[in-house]
Amino acid sequence: MRLFWYATMLFLYAPLAVVVLFSFNAANSPARFAGFSLRWYDRLMTNDALLLAFKNSLILGVSSSLIAVVFGAMLGYGMYRFRHWHLHWLVWLIYLPIVMPDVVYGISEMTFFVAMHRNFGIFEPGLSTMILAHVSFQIPFVALLVHSRLLVLDPLLFEACADLYASPLKRLRYFLIPVLWPALLASFLLAFTLSIDDFVISFFTAGPSSTTLPIYIWSAVRKGITPEVNAVAALIIAAVGIAGLAALVYHHVKFRFSHSVKT
Amino acid sequence: MPQPTANGARQASSISIRSLHKAFSSKMTALDGVDLDVQPGEFFTLLGPSGCGKTTLLRIIAGLEQPDRGSISIGGRLLDGVPPHQRSVNTVFQSYALFPNRNVRDNIGFGLQMQRVKRQIIQQRVQAMAEITKVDDLLDRNPEQLSGGQKQRVALARALINEPDVLLLDEPLSALDAGLRGQLQVELQRLQRRLGMTFVFVTHDQQEAMVMSHRMAVLHEGQVQQVGTPQVIYEQPKTLFVARFMGHQNIFAIQQRNEDEIVADFGVLKGRFAAGSHILLREEALSLKAGVVEGHNRLTARVEECLYRGGSTEYRVLCGNARLTVRSHNLGQALFASGQDVTIDVAPEAVAILPG
Repeated sequence: MRLFWYATMLFLYAPLAVVVLFSFNAANSPARFAGFSLRWYDRLMTNDALLLAFKNSLILGVSSSLIAVVFGAMLGYGMYRFRHWHLHWLVWLIYLPIVMPDVVYGISEMTFFVAMHRNFGIFEPGLSTMILAHVSFQIPFVALLVHSRLLVLDPLLFEACADLYASPLKRLRYFLIPVLWPALLASFLLAFTLSIDDFVISFFTAGPSSTTLPIYIWSAVRKGITPEVNAVAALIIAAVGIAGLAALVYHHVKFRFSHSVKT
Repeated sequence: MPQPTANGARQASSISIRSLHKAFSSKMTALDGVDLDVQPGEFFTLLGPSGCGKTTLLRIIAGLEQPDRGSISIGGRLLDGVPPHQRSVNTVFQSYALFPNRNVRDNIGFGLQMQRVKRQIIQQRVQAMAEITKVDDLLDRNPEQLSGGQKQRVALARALINEPDVLLLDEPLSALDAGLRGQLQVELQRLQRRLGMTFVFVTHDQQEAMVMSHRMAVLHEGQVQQVGTPQVIYEQPKTLFVARFMGHQNIFAIQQRNEDEIVADFGVLKGRFAAGSHILLREEALSLKAGVVEGHNRLTARVEECLYRGGSTEYRVLCGNARLTVRSHNLGQALFASGQDVTIDVAPEAVAILPG
């Protein structure tokens, strides 16, 4: 049992450890470790193409996630609000993209954008088409999270708001958004992660000038793995690790606090 | 808006409901022509079994449901098409519906906040209302940290703080255990008398309705069966449904009605009675005597069952072709055994004739 545990941890974290280790490699080759060095990090900071790709990824991730949260939340609320209308088929239609293979989705988006561009002159491949493509695959996730949060609420809460003099706009501001806040934050983070992580759909919908980090790494690796890419990976690992640790600490503190109030 | 009186308290408002109809589908009629008048400052109860339309009526008064036909006015102001947030009516919901993302203080202050009352004034009024409803030591808690009774008090405070024309209460005590329920019934009744606000209370529990109400309406299948004080409803029910719902056991069809007597399954009763379809003998107003004693309006019977309940004893007796229930208070007398022959003394005040 314990052996199994160690094996699992090894499989999960050994590759990450190797990447981090080799990002500090003084040598050029991934075959051997030739002493500690920060030169790849240094190179990283002066690599304009890579920095641009990183910037593109951030722009894409943040803007697509923001748009997806707004529309996805509206969709999730609509599904909840009109749940008596027997919209199961529509819900099914909304969730289908989640299980659709990325390749199929990416090709479809590309075909669509190219056709639109040819016939109407809109949707020139680039960052804007990528944002649209990302929003479209993020929306179902957001809607799912928001919808499931709404389902656990007492439906009478909406009526209690109206009963207590809240106009529809005030209900949104003082009740719905505060009560959905954790779900909105979670869905933003999920959407952002999906966007940063996405290679396949980005690859099909990208234009010549809108290279994102995953696309850059992919093209860089095609020419052979460089320690520079290792350094990028190590930085991302550090960022994710810090974010995860922060979440853990936050939950721990919050849990302790709510516990101490109760007793 | 109601006018404040000289002492600063707001005047209570009346409610008048005219030929209200509401159907949820062609097969489900919730309200079928309801007319009601609630007096200012009255504790008025809508009583009926589940599905009788009482909650629908309450929701229509709150504006949460639209009637198909008919109208409601509060304090003389017609409320047709007025959305809930523009009505000076507040509701205590059955599940309390406290906002999970706000603590007790902010729950109670919600209505005032929506009406753009200054923060400082909200704080003062929340404090004052929390003291009245005895939740002042819970103000910083979250709703999930409250017991059922505490939630109920917070929901009450959240509604009362707005000083509405009418307070609606949708079975607010039904989720509580019996002891707490009895205590809160008394508290709620006291609070209403003290504030002088118009309360409309919905319940399916006839005991609760009788304890708390000035007047009550019994609803059945979307229609008002009877309106009156608890005493009138209990002692002089108008219909078979009301009599049964109020817990009466001894209800018999009148088989024959002569000028000075009535014949039913249990035998013959002498006297000049009103016209009606059924006769009701109130179990607690009947008295039992040992043996067979002849006399005016005395029925001979045999004890079948004897259920000792502490304060009273319930006898099931066979009388003619009928089974009657007689409840006698235990004042120290000997109990009757099953199988024993007894005489039932039917006092005039024990009898009620159901017209419907």
